[in-house]
Amino acid sequence: MIQTPRWLARAARAAAGCSLAAIALAGAASAFAADTVNVYSIWPENWARPMFEEFEKATGVKVNFVRFSSGEALARVIAEKNNPRVDVLFGGPVETFAAGIAEGVFEAYKPPAFAKLPARFRQADGQWVAIADDPLVFMTNSKFLKENNLKPPASWSDLLAPPYKNMLQMADARTSGTAVTRIFSILEVNGRDENKAFDYMKKLRPNVQLYTKSGGGGTLPVGLGQAGGGIFFIVDALDTKAKGYDVVISFPKEGIGTAAEGIALLKGAKNPELGRKLIDWATSPAMQGQFAKYKINFVPAHPDVALEASLAEVLKGAKIFPIDADYAGANRKRVVERWIAEVLNP
Amino acid sequence: MAAPADGNGKDPAVTAAVVVLWLLLALFVVYPLAMLFARMLTDHGTFTFAGIATVLTDRHQIRAFWNSLWLGLLVGVIGTAFGFLFAFTAARGKLPRRVLGILDASVLLPLVSPPFTTAIAMIFSFGPRGLITYDLLGMKGVTVYGLTSTLFSEVLTYFPIAYLTLRPILAAIDSNIEGMALSLGASRWRVFRTVTLPLAVPGLANAFLLLFAASLADFATPLILAGNNFPVLPTQAYLQITGMFDLRGGAALSFVLLVPALAVFLLQRYWVSRRFYVTITGKGAGQTPFDSVSAGARTVLVGACVAVALVIVYFYALLLYASLVVALGANHAFTLQHYRVIFTEGLKAIRDTLIIAGLAMPLGGLYGILLGYLVTKKTFFGRRTMELVSMVNYALPGTIVGIAYLIAFNDPPLELTGTALIIVACYIFRYGPTGIRATVALLQQIDRSLEEASQGLGAGSGTTFRRITLPLILPAFFAGLGVVFIRSMTAISATIFLVSISWTLITVKILENITELSLGPAAAFSVLVVAIVFVVIAAIGRLLRVFRAPGAMPMTSLLGG
Repeated sequence: MIQTPRWLARAARAAAGCSLAAIALAGAASAFAADTVNVYSIWPENWARPMFEEFEKATGVKVNFVRFSSGEALARVIAEKNNPRVDVLFGGPVETFAAGIAEGVFEAYKPPAFAKLPARFRQADGQWVAIADDPLVFMTNSKFLKENNLKPPASWSDLLAPPYKNMLQMADARTSGTAVTRIFSILEVNGRDENKAFDYMKKLRPNVQLYTKSGGGGTLPVGLGQAGGGIFFIVDALDTKAKGYDVVISFPKEGIGTAAEGIALLKGAKNPELGRKLIDWATSPAMQGQFAKYKINFVPAHPDVALEASLAEVLKGAKIFPIDADYAGANRKRVVERWIAEVLNP
Repeated sequence: MAAPADGNGKDPAVTAAVVVLWLLLALFVVYPLAMLFARMLTDHGTFTFAGIATVLTDRHQIRAFWNSLWLGLLVGVIGTAFGFLFAFTAARGKLPRRVLGILDASVLLPLVSPPFTTAIAMIFSFGPRGLITYDLLGMKGVTVYGLTSTLFSEVLTYFPIAYLTLRPILAAIDSNIEGMALSLGASRWRVFRTVTLPLAVPGLANAFLLLFAASLADFATPLILAGNNFPVLPTQAYLQITGMFDLRGGAALSFVLLVPALAVFLLQRYWVSRRFYVTITGKGAGQTPFDSVSAGARTVLVGACVAVALVIVYFYALLLYASLVVALGANHAFTLQHYRVIFTEGLKAIRDTLIIAGLAMPLGGLYGILLGYLVTKKTFFGRRTMELVSMVNYALPGTIVGIAYLIAFNDPPLELTGTALIIVACYIFRYGPTGIRATVALLQQIDRSLEEASQGLGAGSGTTFRRITLPLILPAFFAGLGVVFIRSMTAISATIFLVSISWTLITVKILENITELSLGPAAAFSVLVVAIVFVVIAAIGRLLRVFRAPGAMPMTSLLGG
């Protein structure tokens, strides 16, 4: 028979006791110190983190954040409406914010920069304010283009060409704001004629290899050549290029949409003052002037921040139009549902 | 006269333990499922079948349902075949110990890593520019998304379960019986067909069901590899909830998944597990040295095993490589940058995961032996029911459990979302049952007279448990600990719904990184998890040896999502 030392039994008991105490603590630890603002970030961590670190440097306020794609973040915010876990929703296309207004999750706030911003960069009541602008682009793999004797796509209809069959990747409208902006771009170039726009999307469907969960999900496959091309936000596309992947960025001659990226205070936020502080900072040149330093290729929303030269070069001659946030917000749910029924699962 | 060892519940310590366990089971198993059920059948307080009807009549979801079953069936059949190949080679191939050890280690890799590690490697290896399909084979226009890749990836990930299930069974078949058949003039093939295989049938059925269940519950592999033309239910439920914020739809989808999952569990537990044949010959291990496999067949078997092991090793080598270069596919310069990233920016996730795993591990282990002990050694009202209820969260796909917890614990008074407790509780009640099963198996081998003696000498049942029984079931405790820890480090299907601003997990980070452009950190995180888990398993293995575990640690029970 095994002789177990008594210390072991005692140790086991002690461990159990400690665990229980730690669990109790762990539950309590979710309440944070007073100088911390809690944020759901829709921007990927590698962009959000340097911005929040700069914010802490400038104000001494620490940002505690977790990253979700826009659909997930919105879903969380709505789910937690009665008892918000965070103070601020940061980044992400403003049509996501427009959908949030319909659910009554935001607290209106007009930061000092509000008056200076063009109308499309602010919600009239201050439910959200823009911190950046992010145009969509076509991104294609250079080697793929060469092998198929293709020019970089310069029209929406170019993407329908046979070589692209099963070679495009773009975001899934169920989870991604990139996808919603893309769909509204297609609606816009078709004069908001929904049937015409959906006809195009249905024709494009056989060329789509994969609808990805997040907006940037297809950039790596396109960079590697696993996919031939796709439609992405310019930040994601330029980031792919910066990582060393041989990709080409182009714009359709019919035009393509751009989505303002927003920030908003949540109704019932536990730290509203700190939340406002973050909004003041993010909507001002204090933050937007730092995009270039961290190679974040957003177009600044604040008129006092100059567009970085290399980014201006990429955008030269491109026909870019804003997505009407009210129109998109009002129709988002219906359009996405139609997309699921008719395009995703024909 | 003292109470008999199987006291009828009048012992206050037993009564108290039973009541506490019932309360916990009610709170963390029954209540969430009831809430899930209620959410599915109500709409703003009114009873309706509309939610479930929408799902059950949606052509697309019906397809996802059949896809899930079809995938599970294929994974079950092919994975069992792979498992049998390995088990048979290990039991009859007369391999040198060291070769067997290397094979074992490589085969176990997929079992102890985050579920999508092979999926990432697949993305790089196959497809229009895949390392294998394009660079090696020069194929064009191959697509990596769909049934084939998902199947391939799941088979590689889960066949070790079949291997570990079948190996002891094949080893237990007395090779003397095969020897007798051989000496009576049967060919080796005939012996295999008419003696070995029939004796292994219950084991094969068991392995098939375990794999079927694992595939049915798997959410991460299809999320990355299934693409848009092969939707499966767990992924659909996840997108329905996180994307569309349709909790009711997600709940209904989960419920549809619940039916086959429970059917498989009950089949496995109450039918197959009772049909194991034992070949008793009267004599012990005295096996005649003879070859039940010809030299030629042996070469083929060993070759096949090595080939499969090489594929696995290749996948993990690729992952390690991806974690050490700047950008796989574009810039192959060596860098430690990704490790720097995970130990700075990712440090919170690592810390959170270790805290949660560290909390869940001892509690899950204790829960396992306590419940296992009570249901085996004590008689009390509802004993069988308690055992069955304790297995529910274990048997269900993680997506269901995660969604049920999300629904049940989102509002006061039981507002647990956003805390570590909800994740810890999820792990304890989902993976603790492994410890329960190990405890039950072990206790059935212990002579009751030991405890009767203790109680006869005047010790209460609490003292008897602590002084006599506990030391005897320590191996089960460590097995339970090990499984809860491994799963706390690698699971995602349930807990992806439960992470929050305050508590996040490495696995969720990996998924996030994959869907962004950050492959390097994803690979580095995966390597880290595999390393930590290997170290902990090795430590637990040592402890098990110290306590001379009868029989091997039930590694089969590592299964789960």
